[in-house]
Amino acid sequence: MSEILKCIINDEEIEALVDPDMRLVDFLRERMQLTGTKIGCKKGECGACTIIMDGKAVNSCMVPVMRASGSVIQTIEGVEKNGRLHIIQEEFINKGAIQCGFCTPGMIMSSKALLDKNPSPTSDEVKEALGGNICRCTGYRKIEEAVLSAAKRLREEV
Amino acid sequence: MKYIIAESVDDVLRAFSENDGKAMVLAGGTDLVLDAESGKKSSDAWIDIMRIPELKEIKTEDNKIVIGSAVTLTEIARSELIKKYYPSLCKGAGTVGSLQIRNAATLTGNIVSAQPAADAAMALAPLDPEIVVVSNEGERILNMEEMYSGFGKSAIDSTRELVKEVRIHIPAENEKASFIRLELRKSLSLPMLNAAARARVENGVIKEIMINMAPVGVGPKRARAAEEFLLGKELNEENATEAGKLALKDANPRSNPLRGSKEYREETLPVIIERAVADIGVQLGLL
Ligand code: FES
Ligand code: FES
Repeated sequence: MSEILKCIINDEEIEALVDPDMRLVDFLRERMQLTGTKIGCKKGECGACTIIMDGKAVNSCMVPVMRASGSVIQTIEGVEKNGRLHIIQEEFINKGAIQCGFCTPGMIMSSKALLDKNPSPTSDEVKEALGGNICRCTGYRKIEEAVLSAAKRLREEV
Repeated sequence: MKYIIAESVDDVLRAFSENDGKAMVLAGGTDLVLDAESGKKSSDAWIDIMRIPELKEIKTEDNKIVIGSAVTLTEIARSELIKKYYPSLCKGAGTVGSLQIRNAATLTGNIVSAQPAADAAMALAPLDPEIVVVSNEGERILNMEEMYSGFGKSAIDSTRELVKEVRIHIPAENEKASFIRLELRKSLSLPMLNAAARARVENGVIKEIMINMAPVGVGPKRARAAEEFLLGKELNEENATEAGKLALKDANPRSNPLRGSKEYREETLPVIIERAVADIGVQLGLL
């Protein structure tokens, strides 16, 4: 049986007929073609599928699609604005916090959820925010540096 | 499958009777969604309770702290109200999984999914909560031990019963609780062992004590021999150490390939219990 899903994804109002068995990550990737959100484990253990839902970072692989009803969702595709990368994305590049890039969309979304609420996070707060995101390539130090330096730049911009 | 978004407790009860055992309560979903996919749990419909306003509150009422069953673990970990009375519960809730998981998962879900060493449920256990369960037959109140019916099994039938809230008494001046975890890594790992305790201490002497530990049996197991030993005794290092040894009397840890052998857990459990007891002494300025 299908149900109607209405939500906002990357500032766009969406209305779609969905099978409630589906998980949000599959809806985003397969129906919306938003394949920037990755699937690593599909079990909540890697954070590759992290998106921001109503201001909070969640694993989209654990969200039944209908739970998104009425929600405001941001994916990695919505982070860049007018062809310009977000400061967090720029700092990931500047600090060399990316190698294969598979974990990066999830890392960026977790970082953005943090910085949207907390412009001056401590190193421990960054670690808490990124604790659910696994990276198999870079090690975590550069990623933490990137987030802290993005926070600094974002503060200076205001 | 049908997806029902409940807006009130009455909506849930109606969905129970209309679907007659075929619709299941869905809270955070971080366990249930996976169990549904693996076929461990199946139902024709889900009843989403996360938007029921009355279940989303943390408040005090009749000298009790009331935590609604749609409150997330992140909300508990960051609640000023809970931190004021039971920082150990904030700690336990803040240790589950990862931030993404805690942003979705609930305390009640952590109990109902019935994993023995669930950190939030463990931190809650010695606070001796009243767990309020509603169904079309009425309301009943269970204690922590009554919530578990076997290994990994809940006493709650989530196709007919809804856990509405958890109520915890406000601690007395000289009453504190603790939560200790033995872990492989900080995020995304189940504990090798965990323990939690609560005690009321008068003039240095323990007047009331509850100690829980896991995974050493079904759910958060009571360390009764250790509790009996401590009751009426002074809260000091020596007695905390002795209580740790006695905890083994009520513990039957199994071997786990990732999280420690039976032998390893038997060696470390006394230390974890000792720390849980001693931490209360530290909070009270006795140690
Ligand atoms: S794919 Fe969702 S957490 Fe790994
Ligand atoms: S850059 Fe490869 S997994 Fe993180």
